[in-house]
Amino acid sequence: MNPILASISDRHARFDALVLPHLDRLLAFAARRTNVRADAEDAVQEACGRAWLGLDDLRDPTKVRAWLYRILRGVLSEAEERTARRRQLVSITRLEEAHDELISSDSDVVFEEVASRLTSEEVHAALGQLPDDFASVVELHDIDGFKYQEIAEIVGVPIGTVMSRISRGRRLLAGAVLASRTATKESGLAVSKERRGGRRGGSGTSGGGGGVR
Amino acid sequence: MTDWTPLAPGSSEDPAERAARENQHQVLIDLLGAYADGELPPETRSQIDAHLVGCVSCRRELAVHRAMRRRLGVEPPVAAPPALRERIVAAIAATPVPVPVTVARPRRFAMLRRPVVLGGLATVVVAGAVGATVLVRHSAAPALAPLAASVTSIPLLQDALTDYRRVVAGDLPGRARDLDAVRSAVPFPIEPLRSSAVRLLAAWTTELGQDPAVVLAYRWDDRIVLQYVVSEQRFFQHPALRQAVAGGGLLAAHDGAQGIVAWPTSSAGALLIADVPPEKLRALGTAALLAGKVARGAP
Repeated sequence: MNPILASISDRHARFDALVLPHLDRLLAFAARRTNVRADAEDAVQEACGRAWLGLDDLRDPTKVRAWLYRILRGVLSEAEERTARRRQLVSITRLEEAHDELISSDSDVVFEEVASRLTSEEVHAALGQLPDDFASVVELHDIDGFKYQEIAEIVGVPIGTVMSRISRGRRLLAGAVLASRTATKESGLAVSKERRGGRRGGSGTSGGGGGVR
Repeated sequence: MTDWTPLAPGSSEDPAERAARENQHQVLIDLLGAYADGELPPETRSQIDAHLVGCVSCRRELAVHRAMRRRLGVEPPVAAPPALRERIVAAIAATPVPVPVTVARPRRFAMLRRPVVLGGLATVVVAGAVGATVLVRHSAAPALAPLAASVTSIPLLQDALTDYRRVVAGDLPGRARDLDAVRSAVPFPIEPLRSSAVRLLAAWTTELGQDPAVVLAYRWDDRIVLQYVVSEQRFFQHPALRQAVAGGGLLAAHDGAQGIVAWPTSSAGALLIADVPPEKLRALGTAALLAGKVARGAP
């Protein structure tokens, strides 16, 4: 075999075996950080391209997943800088207050039940309210299954920072979930009050809709 | 539920003990996530075990950690669409292979984007080639072997050129979705170009000389490029053509305004013809040649 072609062929085979099996997870991670699905796909494609160029830098194939996530985070971060896109963050104080209320409450609310009933959309919306420093470490652990040491390598921070970010990140996430539920309840109450008001006022609309569509 | 059961309050606790416990609480609360995840060393874990016995809020906090982790852990996966996989494979095939040399500046992958930005492709690909200080497109890619004879002396090339000129002067005779029908109409395999730099517009069968051939028409930026696929018997018929591809490279030729590159596929032969010099067709032919070789593990 022509040695150059042999080398190219080996490289393609290595890339196919090491990188392509992780596309689904990489895309999911990117999709949680972009507003447009096509942007997430572009980020994954760019990350794969960099992985192709840097395949020789991967000394230990068992660490390929962490390596790919590190590359992808870099791509996403650059894209965010280029487009000046920022997450629409809710005040952290508000999330912490919601969380503190949950912890200090004597009510019988079982948070586990609340959490288990969350839809994917609700989970994504709640994660989207967190600063990425917190959201990404929580996701890397809880969704993508990385150990703390691996996360420290992906994110480039000491393991102690990973610990505190995961702790705080989950607290904020719980706060975001509860804050959203409260907001939904309040808006539901407002709508039903409006409807009741409409009926009382005899606005003339049928079916009690009160003009709310 | 046990995590939520309040402890019997330690009513006899003195203020100093209470302050110490509060201090410990502030330190340990940031470790509860790691505790829930089994990421703490045994001695720290024991400390938290002891603290949890007397701290209702930490037990509630721990329950929150476990609940969130459990919920996120069952988040359904997202399937990457096949088109993304194909795009990545095509982009990789069209990307120069790096060699371990000193890198003078940060590398950035010259990426083939999704079709909506096709207009920028030529620039992107050229940019990739310009970065040849670290990428060895020219040494790693198959050589471009000039034809050691005139195009008109090789019947296959002459027939293909004649057909090309006839086709581009009129309407394209087929549609892209006819590819499956075309595949079943010929006894040799069809390997369309996989580069996202081109888009298949039409496919049909024809005859070059007396032999069956398949024609695939692609849009490449704002021009048309035709790929002819013929049987390997026909492809390897002429000695000048055999000689040109014997080194594993691409045959390159031109006649007037038309450039031609040709290469053998797994069990057939392919030619690309467009109104550009053969050097410009090189990237498309190289990607197809390498992708074919890699797919079949060929030398």
